[in-house]
Amino acid sequence: MANDKKTVLVVDDDPDARDYLVTVLEDQGFAAVTAKDGAEAISMIEQSAPDLVTLDITMPGKSGVGVYRRLKEDDKLRSIPVIIITGVSDDFQKFISTRRQVPPPDGFINKPVEHEQFLKLVRELLG
Amino acid sequence: MQNARHLYFDAIPCYLSVQDREFRIIDANKRFRADFGDIEDRFCYQVYKRRSEKCEVCPVERAFHDGQSHRSEEQVTCLDGRAVSVLVEATPVRDESGEITSVIEISTDITEIMDLERQLRRSQQRYHLLFDEVPCYISIQDLELHIVEANRAFQEDFGSCLGRKCYAAYKHRAEPCVPCPVQETLEDGQPHTREEVVTTQDGRHKNVLVTAAPIRNGQGEVTGVMEMSADITAVRELESRLTSLGLLIGSVSHGLKGMLNGLAGGMYLVDTGFKKSDQTRIDKGWDAVQRNVGRIRSMVSDILYYAKDRVPNWESLPAITLAEEVCDLAAAKARDQNVELVRALDADAGDFEADAQAVRSLLVNLIENSLDACRLDGKKPACVTVRLRGSADCVRYEVEDNGIGMDQETREKAFSLFFSSKGTEGTGLGLFIADRIAKAHGGKIELESRTGAGTRFIVELPRKRTPQQEPESAPNPTETETPHG
Repeated sequence: MANDKKTVLVVDDDPDARDYLVTVLEDQGFAAVTAKDGAEAISMIEQSAPDLVTLDITMPGKSGVGVYRRLKEDDKLRSIPVIIITGVSDDFQKFISTRRQVPPPDGFINKPVEHEQFLKLVRELLG
Repeated sequence: MQNARHLYFDAIPCYLSVQDREFRIIDANKRFRADFGDIEDRFCYQVYKRRSEKCEVCPVERAFHDGQSHRSEEQVTCLDGRAVSVLVEATPVRDESGEITSVIEISTDITEIMDLERQLRRSQQRYHLLFDEVPCYISIQDLELHIVEANRAFQEDFGSCLGRKCYAAYKHRAEPCVPCPVQETLEDGQPHTREEVVTTQDGRHKNVLVTAAPIRNGQGEVTGVMEMSADITAVRELESRLTSLGLLIGSVSHGLKGMLNGLAGGMYLVDTGFKKSDQTRIDKGWDAVQRNVGRIRSMVSDILYYAKDRVPNWESLPAITLAEEVCDLAAAKARDQNVELVRALDADAGDFEADAQAVRSLLVNLIENSLDACRLDGKKPACVTVRLRGSADCVRYEVEDNGIGMDQETREKAFSLFFSSKGTEGTGLGLFIADRIAKAHGGKIELESRTGAGTRFIVELPRKRTPQQEPESAPNPTETETPHG
């Protein structure tokens, strides 16, 4: 991915949500790439590991939960921090309660996203 | 001998009298005298019934007449005014020549038996009243599951069913149900309860709570089963509505958060666009704001439609006008998404009776679904085609896209409430409501779809409403107004 800029992969099926986070990140000097579903996200992560992943949970096809599991079960990808961004807090609860050997996500943000709060968390995770 | 005979007479635990042909009592035992008094020069009808002349039907008279013994049941009155029910047996007494000289009348006090019989009769009447009037279905089944008795409620809803198998009457089945509470009771002699769905003879489905209890004979053996079914359909419907309401709140809350997120994104772009004097960014942000306001408006409209059991506001509509209107409504969105919107509309499709707002909402839901399917696909030149044709009985709208298509599960659940394959964007209301609108018009929606190839919705709406759809009263015009604000 980009040379000196930290790269964030934004995974969300809603194009408006993707545009929003990408613009916020780019405005602050981060590089941002997007995936519109779980399968595309996994493919992109495997090709070129980003520095951070923001992950929507409810998506058509492979859900965010599946992507997260896949990431945390892979020795090479496990260290990539993940922020869960979802509109359904129940999903997150389910997500937490159904995990087996998977650690909790590095951050969790409810939709609608408040961009200052989002950036604060991104900066914390990317140092 | 005379004394010995009186000893025997007096020992008999009945009223005993001897009468001549005029029904004069010429002898009586002690018990008779104790309860009915002096017999000297008195007639049986005077003593027994305080009458001035003989009874119309008299067993003593008949015994004199044909020389046979005769029985009857009578009610007599004792000296103290007490009414006593008696079983009378009149037996002729003959002399050496065979001539009937007198009749012995033995009257057994059966007052207690008669009281018990009356109580039993009253109890049976009460039982039958309860059996018939209790507000649930009751049937009695024999060991082979034949219905041998059924109450009024059962027969009203399931027809004349005596002799039929219970599973045939209750569920229109050819085989016994598995599991069956009646079978379980027959096997272990214990009561069993289960919730079932049964079908009345006119095809209505009812949720019932069935309790099967054993019926035993004198030896304690189970000879049948009483099945009592309480109709809990209303309770289940209420539960279902409450569950749906909970799901609706969850689904709406989820959808709304996604749309608010889209609005927040749009506002961020507009805000930072102004700061940076970046018109492209402002335009992009404003588009997102408009798009998400549109999504919220559409969702609110769907919720209002879902929340109300609307009476259709019937009117005669030109099918072509409605099709043109919805295509116009969808054109801007299609253009924004680079989707070609093709109109293949037969201008001679004619008129049909429908609720214009409802059918418009139905078609817009289908077109928006197709536009979303194209946007989610995003790999080929996207196209949505709206078709209209008319036949003698119905008008037929088609909405076809070449978007992502549906897999089997999505196809099967497409019209289910709260099912959405669109992740964050779907509330699972749109197609459910479209289907409900079609059915409210006596029509139907069919869909053909293949993953990756696209989807075609076919809507058939009858030209005329059926008599069942005639309104009981004039529709309330406020019901059909578009919500504002």
